[in-house]
Amino acid sequence: MQWINLFLANLWKEYLEMKRYLPNTIALVLTFYFIFLGLFGVIHFFGDPSTQDVNIQFVIVNYIFWFLALSVIQMFGFEIVNEAIRGTLEQLSMSPMGIWRILSTRLIASTIIYGIIIFVLLIITMLTAGQWLNIDILSIFPIFVLTVFGMYGVGLMVGGLAIVYKQIQAFLQILQFLLAGLTFIPLAASPFMYFLPFVIGVDLVRDIMIGGQTLIDIGWLPLTILFINAFVYFIAGLLFFNYCERMAMKKGLLGQY
Amino acid sequence: MEKIIEISNLTKTYRKRKSREVIQAVNDVDFNVYKGEILGLLGPNGAGKTTTIKLICGLLYPDSSEIKIKGIPNTDSRLESLQYISAVLEGNRNLYWRLTVRENLEYFAGNRGRSRKEVKEEIDKLLQMFRLKDKENELVNRLSRGMQQKLAIAVAMLANTEVMLLDEPTLCLDVQTGLEVREILKSIVSNYQRTIIISSHDMDVIQDICDRTVIINQGTVVIDQRVDELIKLFEVRSYRLTLTEPLSLDQQKAISTRFPTNEYVEDQAYSYLTVQLEKSEDIYQIFQVLQLNRTPIDSIDRKAIRFDEVFLKIIQGDHQYAMD
Ligand SMILES: Nc1ncnc2c1ncn2[C@@H]1O[C@H](COP(=O)(O)OP(=O)(O)OP(=O)(O)O)[C@@H](O)[C@H]1O
Ligand SMILES: [Mg+2]
Repeated sequence: MQWINLFLANLWKEYLEMKRYLPNTIALVLTFYFIFLGLFGVIHFFGDPSTQDVNIQFVIVNYIFWFLALSVIQMFGFEIVNEAIRGTLEQLSMSPMGIWRILSTRLIASTIIYGIIIFVLLIITMLTAGQWLNIDILSIFPIFVLTVFGMYGVGLMVGGLAIVYKQIQAFLQILQFLLAGLTFIPLAASPFMYFLPFVIGVDLVRDIMIGGQTLIDIGWLPLTILFINAFVYFIAGLLFFNYCERMAMKKGLLGQY
Repeated sequence: MEKIIEISNLTKTYRKRKSREVIQAVNDVDFNVYKGEILGLLGPNGAGKTTTIKLICGLLYPDSSEIKIKGIPNTDSRLESLQYISAVLEGNRNLYWRLTVRENLEYFAGNRGRSRKEVKEEIDKLLQMFRLKDKENELVNRLSRGMQQKLAIAVAMLANTEVMLLDEPTLCLDVQTGLEVREILKSIVSNYQRTIIISSHDMDVIQDICDRTVIINQGTVVIDQRVDELIKLFEVRSYRLTLTEPLSLDQQKAISTRFPTNEYVEDQAYSYLTVQLEKSEDIYQIFQVLQLNRTPIDSIDRKAIRFDEVFLKIIQGDHQYAMD
């Protein structure tokens, strides 16, 4: 029950802030829409006609996941820096629920809100462009959740760095390119890719959305590997975050920016 | 009396970022906090009040020892111990400026796992009590500093914890709002059975609302005593003699050697001698000096001492008698 109330409070807060920064929110949604349209268009005009459909789809799926990875992984660090600037980080840390739980519910809340927005926009874009991706929600959803879970582990690590160092904006910029790499390079490129966060998940989603596969086609093995990968990253992230939080408390860094 | 917070041998050092120089912010501090009292943490700037408060709130880890909150060590079982604690920290950054008054209350309650429905009535009551009802839908960044401070205290109240810590709650408030906040704090203790720890360097606030005071200077506790007893202690020792003739230079010298802190002033009609006595018998020494010239005494008064004078004396090291 406490968890649910915590989640509802943070969902409510995310909603209120989106409403209060409405121009910002609208700009974001429009940007998305035009980027989607642009992607459909560019590939339509300049791509190789024989592989055109696959190209469009490949780029769009990657783009969505890149954005998702970006928001999930940066959000933790971003929220912590923001709270530190506002001076509310210490109040948050004094909740008996703990910072990571509070921020987790915030993350879930914003993932849900943005997930819905992206989903709706994608449908609208597909309608506008007349190009259709295979959106098999039943197959995508479990993979999506596991993938986000793994991303979240990485996000916790970034959050841990943020709580100690605060000035992590430059690092986040570099991270954007790394993440772009991770989402665009196919899993088959190297066996090493299996050890990286969320690459497996993105690859599986591509199989579904572009290759038209279902969960059954994919089979247990890749799913199990995905599960282990996500779980390991999540636990590692959580441990690292708690370690950093403790270090910040030892050095008196929580209230500082 | 039930001990709610136990602090023993508490030490905290900071390290400066660049120079790695060590700052001893809190040094071997001991004190307890008892259920239902208002404890005043008093000390000059940089004494270690905020550090002590943050250590109690589990926002800082001590170098050594641990703080027990209702018997729970707040380092090993941090989240559990936080169930009993809420705080308004230094400054005005305890709230979300882009949320309204009511939304802030609801959000912070939500962060402690309480639903909006569950706290609705409590919020109404608090808004009434803090006279913020007409501002409930106002964004916090549009409130005055005093209203923000009241709201921050209301948020801490809504946490429904046994202990509430307030770091300099009346700083930057005008006289009227300051008094209002004091009244609210007093009523919280008497009507809600809360325990309050309040830090301040405003002696007046401490004298007005606190039962007991712990005075910290340079990271160590110099006094831990009931406020009324503390004042009495210093009062007893401060005497003012009104003389109808001035003292001779020899007399003045004799007084000064025995009572270095004496104050002597003359005006046309009277001379005034103020002395701090270490023991009440010391008054006879003064009589001896006066007897030399048979100086006539008009009156002897025990000088009423203000708490801020007590505080200054303690900070300047004149506390050897107050400690026992
Ligand atoms: N995060 C920090 N890093 C380094 N030194 C610190 C830090 N916080 C406090 N200090 C130092 O520790 C000492 C105690 O500071 P503290 O803030 O506890 O004092 P205070 O009694 O609250 O003072 P004030 O009345 O000014 O609020 C000071 O010398 C201060 O400079
Ligand atoms: Mg302070």
